[in-house]
Amino acid sequence: MSNNPSELPILQVRNLKKYFHVSKGTLHAVDDISFDIRQGKTLGMVGESGCGKSTTGRLLVRLHESDSGSIRYDGIEVTRASSKEMKVLRTKMQMIFQDPYSSINPRHTVASIIGEPLKIYKKVRNMQEYEEKVHQLMETVGLADRLYDAYPHELDGGRRQRIGIARALALEPQFIVCDEPVSALDVSIQAQILNLLMDLQDKLKLTYLFITHDLSVVKHISDDIVIMYLGQIVEQANTEELFRHPIHPYSQALSSAIPVPRLNARKERIILKSEVVSPIDPKPGCRFAPRCNYAKPECGEADPVLREVMPGRLVACHRAEMFV
Amino acid sequence: MDKILEVKDLHVHYFSNRKTVRAINNLSLDMQRGRVLGLVGETGAGKTTLALSILNMIRAPQGKIISGSIRFDGKDILAMSKQELRELRGKDIAMIFQDPMTALNPVLTVGDQIAETIFKHEKVSKDEAWAKAEKMLETVGIPGARAKEYPHQFSGGMKQRVVIALSLACNPRLLLADEPTTALDVTIQAQVLDLMRHLIRTYNTSVLFITHSLGLVVENCDEVATMYAGEIVEYGTVEQVFGNPLHPYTRGLFGSLPDYSEGAARLRPIPGLMPDPTNLPRGCYFSPRCPHVMPLCEELHPTHTSMDGHLVKCHLYQENANVEQPI
Amino acid sequence: MGNNTLSRFMARQSKNITQFWRQFSRNKLAVASLFLVLIFALIAIFADFLYSYDFVTSNSLENALLKPGQTGTVYYHDKEITHTFILGSDNYGRDILGRLVHGARVSMIIGFATVAMAIAVGGLLGAIAGYKGGLFDTLIMRVTDIVLSIPTILMSIAIVAALGNSFFNLLIAISTSMIPGYIRIVRASIISIKDQEYVEAARCIGASDLRIVLRHILPNITSPVIVQSTLNVGSSILWASSLSFLGLGILPPKPEWGNMLSEAREFIQYAPHLLFAPGLAILLTVLAYNLIGDGLRDALDPKLKR
Repeated sequence: MSNNPSELPILQVRNLKKYFHVSKGTLHAVDDISFDIRQGKTLGMVGESGCGKSTTGRLLVRLHESDSGSIRYDGIEVTRASSKEMKVLRTKMQMIFQDPYSSINPRHTVASIIGEPLKIYKKVRNMQEYEEKVHQLMETVGLADRLYDAYPHELDGGRRQRIGIARALALEPQFIVCDEPVSALDVSIQAQILNLLMDLQDKLKLTYLFITHDLSVVKHISDDIVIMYLGQIVEQANTEELFRHPIHPYSQALSSAIPVPRLNARKERIILKSEVVSPIDPKPGCRFAPRCNYAKPECGEADPVLREVMPGRLVACHRAEMFV
Repeated sequence: MDKILEVKDLHVHYFSNRKTVRAINNLSLDMQRGRVLGLVGETGAGKTTLALSILNMIRAPQGKIISGSIRFDGKDILAMSKQELRELRGKDIAMIFQDPMTALNPVLTVGDQIAETIFKHEKVSKDEAWAKAEKMLETVGIPGARAKEYPHQFSGGMKQRVVIALSLACNPRLLLADEPTTALDVTIQAQVLDLMRHLIRTYNTSVLFITHSLGLVVENCDEVATMYAGEIVEYGTVEQVFGNPLHPYTRGLFGSLPDYSEGAARLRPIPGLMPDPTNLPRGCYFSPRCPHVMPLCEELHPTHTSMDGHLVKCHLYQENANVEQPI
Repeated sequence: MGNNTLSRFMARQSKNITQFWRQFSRNKLAVASLFLVLIFALIAIFADFLYSYDFVTSNSLENALLKPGQTGTVYYHDKEITHTFILGSDNYGRDILGRLVHGARVSMIIGFATVAMAIAVGGLLGAIAGYKGGLFDTLIMRVTDIVLSIPTILMSIAIVAALGNSFFNLLIAISTSMIPGYIRIVRASIISIKDQEYVEAARCIGASDLRIVLRHILPNITSPVIVQSTLNVGSSILWASSLSFLGLGILPPKPEWGNMLSEAREFIQYAPHLLFAPGLAILLTVLAYNLIGDGLRDALDPKLKR
């Protein structure tokens, strides 16, 4: 497409699958998804609980092993990387976790949490260098120096999340998976952390995969968006385009469900039928069909394929043309 | 107008480790009959404590209502006997909790739980109570036949519908809804709120809608109160508050929202943190974080100023403050 | 430079230790208990200076069942000496205080060593079962179930019989009976902790399995293990006496608290002091270990600092 290096995908995911075996059958957590993440950009991944978005994030940094498909990061195949290659990859890809309470070890001090990756990778030669580097990281994420020896329980959710961010930055990665980093925080703190993440992206030229269920957050921070439903991508587009004109009926419903805190913004909600279908041993056909207001008998027969219905707009819906 | 609930000068404290947590500080709030009041605030602002106080359910010895009065339809709730309170709770005032998973008893069928409430509060036979329970379930969009099922057989959104059916079973005059949709997915949240709006209108119930989401307030409420560090800092109709937010904290909340500052590259969060409720600042509780702080704010706690019923607790708007009003 | 770094490191370590001690010393009972255990340990170490071993193991039937404080004439190394029996004497005319002092050696070692061995082995197996899961888990847990289904007394007898009757084998026999408990506790705690996000975060920053278990998991499961171990110290002392009653392990006339207790049973009506002395010693030791365990658990918990 373009020769601009910032347009090149740093990460390519192709036909990625992850099934979990549960007592009732096979849970199709991630079912054949493909997408690219452009260097220096943020890809927002949106969906409701159980749609497989967190599993996808964990597959990318290999906290889970994928069943099939490929993840190429900077030309290296993540799914088949040896432990030696993984060790190198981990310095390039990091993750920020959802729950600021369970994602940092309550027994360790702030400094030892942030400095642990430095020790594991022997990034520093001596204690002095180590301390300097930890102080520098703390400053980068806006943690006061006096918290160096503090324990996590003395800190609020926002500061804890800053610790998690500093830990992820310690190895100077280029790509970070942000798994709902602000959903456990109050709005005023949420805004502080979102600003921090965006500033860091500018300063350090980071690439993000930003996983969230909150559309207003993803709209604010993302350049591109994929919308997931029961383990599959139903729509993928540039953020602006997608919010201006959501094509997939599920995207339309999601977008209409965002509560907008402005007078006269009251809009017609699209109320979906029934409830989420189980992702365990799903039947063939469109997984959204049972809730879809536009479903036809043919929707229950074949799986819809993610296809380009307009330039730059990928949608997985049999009747997509109707909404273009 | 006709007031269904009047809270006056309420103080509620919790005690732990020789420290006093001042959860609610000199709070006064009126609710009009048949209206929906949105109560907005962050974690730790005292929203749930207020709801529990209204039911007189603050448990000693950890918590205590220190002073103040809560009048429901003219009767003082804090002076009621245990018997009167039992009749009040569930019948006249009902509460919906945030988490539908824990609000239902897992070993009783949902029909039993609803019928039990009806049987306790109304003079009906067991069969009549059961029949009414089935009817209530149908009202919230669940087939009456499912009354014989247990809570674990329902999905999250369906459970919250059951909780709503349970709370509306005795046709309460006041409903306390504590973050009723926070635990649900957005599309399910839309369904549940749609249903709640419909029921509230049908039964003419007054609702205290507790939430941290300003977006839900504008869509569901008539009046709105902003709560900070255990007090109401701003109160008005949705039009007043959303059209012209006065208190710096309310404005800060709006500035923190990605969807409000649409197009803006950066959010404008409130700096700092909520004050420690065991050690509140001497003057205005918001003064350490306030962008418009004046020397007076650190000395003197502000009182309510009213502008056409739009109340705000801030020195910027008090007549004796020698400052120009901010734009 | 390097020297400076080292001294800073030392300073930080010593600061940690002072902080730990400050926290631990807040619990007055725990400090008193630690003091008591130290005294018992000193007594055990210097037992030979207080009473000679020959003296406390040789019979002098004419002094049998003396009351506390009574004196008697003892023939010792062919000399006749007058001796005050501070805590009285037993049915063989042996000094009870002397036997307590020498018994402390055996009992303190049994109480401490068996628990330490059980924690080491049970902790390791439990950690593998909980962290690795799958086949390891099934294998270890099924073997544990089998071990648990064998009556402990039979098990201990079998071990001593197979390995031979020695003090060390007695320790093995006793700690084997406690190992399944630690496997279960450690495994259950690890399973509840290993899905915490901070463990995933540690994997994400490239931490090895060993590092994750040692630095992130084990420190978070100390409380249940400490509680279990302080309870076990007492029971292992009593267990040793049951085994010696059956003729395994510590054999008379070698003094040992549990042993003294079981011998005293016959005379409970005429000479209750025979029962009180070793009983009190065991009680105090068990209580002290429990209180130290509580103090240790609190001092290791960062949530309670300051």
